[in-house]
Amino acid sequence: MRAMTTLAVAAAVLSLGAAEVKAESLKIGIIESLSGAQTSTGRLFASAAQYVIDQINADDGFNGSPIEVVEYDNAGGTTGAADRFRQAVAEGVHIVVQGASSAIAGQITEDVRRHNIRNPGDEVLFMNMGAEALELTGEKCHFYHFRFTTTAPMRVNALVSAMSEEGDLGSRVYSINQNYSWGRDMEEAIRAAAEAGGYEVVDSDLHEVNRIQDFSPFVAKIRASEVDTVMTGNWSNDLLLLMKAAGDAGLDVRFGTTFLDQVGNIANAGETAVGHYIAHLVNLELEDEAWVQDYEQVTGHVPVYIEPQTVNAMLLLREALSDLDFGGEDIDVTQIGLALEKATLEGPNGTLSIRQEDHQIVTPVVVSRIDEGAKYAVDETQWGFVPVKVVSAEEAMYPVQDSCQMDRPD
Amino acid sequence: MARVWQLLLFVLIMAVLIGLPPLLGAGLQNAMTNMLIAALFAMAFNLLMGQGGMLSFGHAAFYGVGAFAVMHLMTAIDRGGLSFPTPLLPLAGAAAGLLVGLVTGWFATLRSGVYFALVTLALAEMLHSLAPHWEGLFGGEAGISSMRMPWGGFIFGQVIEIYYLTLIWVTLSIGLLYAYTRTPFGRLTLALRDNEERVRFMGYDAHATKMIVFAVSATFAGIAGGLLAVSNEQANYELFGTHVSAQVVLHTFVGGSTVFFGPAIGAAIFTLFAYLVSDVSRSWLLYQGVIFVLVMLYAPLGIGGVVMLHLRHWASIPWQRMVGPYAGATAATLLMAIGTVMVVEFLEALFSPHYVAQRRQAETSWPAFERFGASWEPFGILTWGPPLLLLIVGLLILLRLRHRIVALWDEVQETAETAARSGA
Repeated sequence: MRAMTTLAVAAAVLSLGAAEVKAESLKIGIIESLSGAQTSTGRLFASAAQYVIDQINADDGFNGSPIEVVEYDNAGGTTGAADRFRQAVAEGVHIVVQGASSAIAGQITEDVRRHNIRNPGDEVLFMNMGAEALELTGEKCHFYHFRFTTTAPMRVNALVSAMSEEGDLGSRVYSINQNYSWGRDMEEAIRAAAEAGGYEVVDSDLHEVNRIQDFSPFVAKIRASEVDTVMTGNWSNDLLLLMKAAGDAGLDVRFGTTFLDQVGNIANAGETAVGHYIAHLVNLELEDEAWVQDYEQVTGHVPVYIEPQTVNAMLLLREALSDLDFGGEDIDVTQIGLALEKATLEGPNGTLSIRQEDHQIVTPVVVSRIDEGAKYAVDETQWGFVPVKVVSAEEAMYPVQDSCQMDRPD
Repeated sequence: MARVWQLLLFVLIMAVLIGLPPLLGAGLQNAMTNMLIAALFAMAFNLLMGQGGMLSFGHAAFYGVGAFAVMHLMTAIDRGGLSFPTPLLPLAGAAAGLLVGLVTGWFATLRSGVYFALVTLALAEMLHSLAPHWEGLFGGEAGISSMRMPWGGFIFGQVIEIYYLTLIWVTLSIGLLYAYTRTPFGRLTLALRDNEERVRFMGYDAHATKMIVFAVSATFAGIAGGLLAVSNEQANYELFGTHVSAQVVLHTFVGGSTVFFGPAIGAAIFTLFAYLVSDVSRSWLLYQGVIFVLVMLYAPLGIGGVVMLHLRHWASIPWQRMVGPYAGATAATLLMAIGTVMVVEFLEALFSPHYVAQRRQAETSWPAFERFGASWEPFGILTWGPPLLLLIVGLLILLRLRHRIVALWDEVQETAETAARSGA
């Protein structure tokens, strides 16, 4: 008990010391899964964000001093995230960055909302890098939440548009998804796009998340329904095992996927992944070679999976910050939010911006096919993502959800 | 005399718990809130495990149910339809815990031992897989989120307010749990653990008794979950996860299930450990696991058990001869701990993506890496030599001292036995 008290007192002295240096320098807290099952993804978000912040700091920093970055480990759970959020706020963090898991993003966005209601003038802003649940820009939307990734309708619309142009979509589609908010969002989007894509959703499945070891019953169902294309929002094992089961059964269908670019997937799926499609935010082949090389130089690998979109998000923040000048005084997070709404970024595929009504990023979506001959082969295989079509932001975008009632500060 | 010391210790701990937090930052205040909640959860669990002799692997079920009950009540207040004092929110957790505890306790206590553990495990797992699909009750995988409303002049917006609210609830609950052990029914609980058959022969309904013990334990676990919900203003299905059930078992065993306050000690130490170390090292889970294994191997009674052992034999321990070996053993443990931490952190640094990037940029194939504010050669004698030396020296000292300490304790045991014999 005494040792505990000593520890507590020692830490108290430290934290008191930390509280005094507050203000002036912009503080960004990365609350990610840095231990546990989601670590590999959590680390990618953190390193990509760090990459841009290092660049900003190499220039001038912001408000007369370098931007400070603090990493917090949420241990892969919402309870850990809630604790870390409180710690971050206590340590004077202005902007919270997170991406892996919609459930954790849901926790953080609500924590931010409550904090801002209780502490006017001392707001915190949340940059959501990868959580795609629709409710985050719907029911749960608020001014201080910004989403820098796509949602189910954006990915599905892009897939449908590119695959039908390539003549690989067909008229019969099977929808198979995980039974939770993301999977249900996907299924709804697949049904909604049927008319525009000229296909019929023959059958659909919602299954348990990451619990199924054998997908052959589903594959048998898919075979019996005689479809041309299987559309799925599955990720991780649910995607790999599904594709492998289909490959083993010699099923002749195309897959339209959303997370096939997760690190290790292509190596794992091997030959069975070839010829299938993915809708993602960035295809490196279309990007400026200089920054890809620079990223590899700095971090040791070319940007993968969610790293490019996180870099883009941070570049938008950089853009927003460049319009602001607090003259070394206290940082007004609301001003940063307003500037972020107006920030734009010219990418190789078009302009990136923020939709004011719900703070959803407006971004083109790239559809790629897994094939040989890609400029950047992935996972040390001969395959990579060959760009098929860039779907413009206007075409991929979906209407603002009615459930989003945003209270604006101005 | 012992009573006076115990009272003094109790007053001291309460003084620290009441007086210290205002001096701390909000981050530590929150960590201390979590510590209190974990302590109550472990105490509730130990009523069943330590006193009733029923090892539950699914206590997360009641913890989670308590949290969800409080969230539903909080939402009802937030939407304006209900007026209910915010400080009393955990009552909803208690009620839900009691109700679910009674129903499931009826099933679970039909069997004992390993079968009982399996039934409880299945119960929590059932809720864990059901919750993400039951939108109305559990809010899908995102869970339910709401906001504490001000009440009676308190805003309940600051962490410190929640800390004191938690402190009051935890103190009251642990007080009640202590009072429980003093009642005839509390004695009956112990008898149940020691010999269930004899309890039955004495004319008690063993099943009904076990069910009540189960429900009481579930009630307090529900309060702990409720307090967590009050603090986080959110609950989701993760609360039913096996890691929550495992965590409480771990806390209880490290703290010591045979001592009343043992589980609280284990919970307090591990919660603070997680808070302080997880920011410093990425390998904190490994350290936590190592500590658990070491405690189980060399102090199976837990930290509380070791402390109690010393208190019980305080007078007969030959302290003059004991101080030397104890100090030596502490120093040796420290040496080994430093050695282990160095090895683990070096390995972590060598396998980190950061170092992979460094290797790409550097001229040489194995550039030096940074750790503990210094630069280290990957294959240098100066890198691996000192930690390995620390480990070996520490181990040798420990092995030597162990015999002396064991011999001294044998003496203590002997004195105690002769005293008991002459007393009889």
